[in-house]
Amino acid sequence: MASSSPILRQLGCFRSLLKPQPQPQPLLQSPLNRRALSTVYSTRPTPKPLPENLPEQFIKQLPLHLRPKDPKVRRPIPPPPPSPCTKCKDPVAAVEEAQLAVLDPTGERRALFDYRRSPRSVKPGDIVRVTFKNGDPFNGVCLSIRLRGLDTSFLLRNHLTRVGVEMAIKVYSPNVESVEIVQRAQKRKRRARLFYMRDPKHDMGTVENIVTNYIRQKRALSGKKRAPVKGRK
Amino acid sequence: MTPRLPGKLVHLPLISTWGFQYIIRSQVPIRTFGIRSLNPPETSRFNVGHDLPVLKSTPTAALERKANTLPLRTGAIATKKGMTAIYDTETGKRVPCTVLQLDRVEVVSHKTRQKHGYYAVQLGSGWRKPANLTKSLLGHFTANGISPKRHVYEFRVKDESGLLPVGQMVNADWFQEGQYVDARSNSKGKGFAGVMKRHGFGGQDRSHGVSLTHRSLGSAGPSQGGGSRVYPGKKMAGNMGNEQNTVQNLKILKVDSENGIVVVNGSVSGPRGCVVRIQDAIKKPWPEDMSPSSS
Amino acid sequence: MIQLKTMLNCIDNSGAAVVECVNVLKKKRPATVGDRIVVVVQKQRNFGPDSSNNVGIANKVRRGDIRHAVVVRAKKEMQRPDGSLVKFDDNACVLVNKSGDPIGTRMNGVVATELRGRQWSKILSLAPMHV
Repeated sequence: MASSSPILRQLGCFRSLLKPQPQPQPLLQSPLNRRALSTVYSTRPTPKPLPENLPEQFIKQLPLHLRPKDPKVRRPIPPPPPSPCTKCKDPVAAVEEAQLAVLDPTGERRALFDYRRSPRSVKPGDIVRVTFKNGDPFNGVCLSIRLRGLDTSFLLRNHLTRVGVEMAIKVYSPNVESVEIVQRAQKRKRRARLFYMRDPKHDMGTVENIVTNYIRQKRALSGKKRAPVKGRK
Repeated sequence: MTPRLPGKLVHLPLISTWGFQYIIRSQVPIRTFGIRSLNPPETSRFNVGHDLPVLKSTPTAALERKANTLPLRTGAIATKKGMTAIYDTETGKRVPCTVLQLDRVEVVSHKTRQKHGYYAVQLGSGWRKPANLTKSLLGHFTANGISPKRHVYEFRVKDESGLLPVGQMVNADWFQEGQYVDARSNSKGKGFAGVMKRHGFGGQDRSHGVSLTHRSLGSAGPSQGGGSRVYPGKKMAGNMGNEQNTVQNLKILKVDSENGIVVVNGSVSGPRGCVVRIQDAIKKPWPEDMSPSSS
Repeated sequence: MIQLKTMLNCIDNSGAAVVECVNVLKKKRPATVGDRIVVVVQKQRNFGPDSSNNVGIANKVRRGDIRHAVVVRAKKEMQRPDGSLVKFDDNACVLVNKSGDPIGTRMNGVVATELRGRQWSKILSLAPMHV
């Protein structure tokens, strides 16, 4: 074939050009005519059963698909251990409760500020006197109570030396020695947050006089003789 | 070098004299054929030996460099549950803290120097339905006799003494109150953020002819003098957050092994419910009691 | 939150009534209670008629003087170690000299206790009241 003359080869090229173009459709429909005969007519080989007691070294010589398959290992799936998450769904609440048990064992503080449930609690508009551990008192009108679990706080406002002072105090802070209600609001306030009392029009001014009167009355009622309250803190 | 000659010419006379000799070297007779040099052969053409210093670019040197900054023992996988505060009843100080919870943290497997090039403990936490796992991963768990885990992370340790036995539970009492840990977690994702939010750029003027580019970056770099290209690492707009962040030296304030609660001082990156990896702080002295937890 | 151009009340008897902050010292953030600032005296205080004859002696500072001062009250709330917040209705300061001693001899008005932790105990002892 290869030794045929070059002229013949060129003619062969022309012959293919002159031939009518084969339609693509019959090619697609019968792709078998492109196949080798051996693949078309040979059937899939069925794996023959291996002879009994075949030595080990012979198995390795077999092709992979003819080797005997390893039996499927089904390892048991171990059950999960008990979870602490099911026991303690809300760890943050657990930590807070543990804190509250230390800071407020009797639940007294909580009742004093849970103004939605407890009727004898502090309410916005009340005049409150707070004494701290280091002895400093702070008096003021309660403007708001922020109920947030362990971070529950209340905002007091007062005028000291004609300067308005506000203090937001954490209810459960160990620094707070005692909280007393000096005077209730005359009328129930229609708002939960009395921030309008910061405006000069609504500002209550100083509450020091009311508090000193209260302390005097209290002392008279209890009948105890204490050292007079110092003017300055 | 002797000049190369056709094989037959050289071999025929020489085989009779040099061939079939037994050279006794280190008490093992080695049978040699052909031409042998009178000089003993060099073992290697590279500079090797016991007394030579370790090369800086080798894994051995890399492990040596890391030795001081790798914790001695493994950490734990925890979930961020939220923040609260703890009061110190003596001083009256309020300390903000993050509550973390450990959920069935177990040792899944080890990484060893011999096989993987470093020492690490692979821990898993939580539980995942076996049907939701790939077969390969399921086999990884069951081969070690461990229930399928939701989260799997590695914790590098200095040497093999830090490798806990496979299957051992790491409880909250693995950490002591008062010790320091590093907390590693993904920060909150902020989405595609501009340069002002992402990198704190100043933005541009509100007016003075600026139009439509009030919050964009000014210039991306020099022109012809700088190579007429934008340098790699140029700060631009893009995804912000949701990347790993490590908060170092967090003090452990409280440990509740029954409920798996670990309370650490301060804040930890990420939203509530994110996975936090805590391990002994590398910038503080290692905790004294190194005994593994009994569970 | 006291920064450039903030007007503060001066609550000592140095003679200044209103001062303007021109610089915050030792920090890159706005000043708060206990921070040292540089101020310009904007308004002088008029003392009573009994001291009107010797205004020059009573007033240790004049309008336009540049002085150092310590913030003693701030409108911006500040947090105490137990988590409580304290805030005042105005910003106020006390003039000090370069060595840190107050220029005035008396003070009128409440000041914050945070001054104690910042080595301003002398000012705290001069104050009639502290919160």
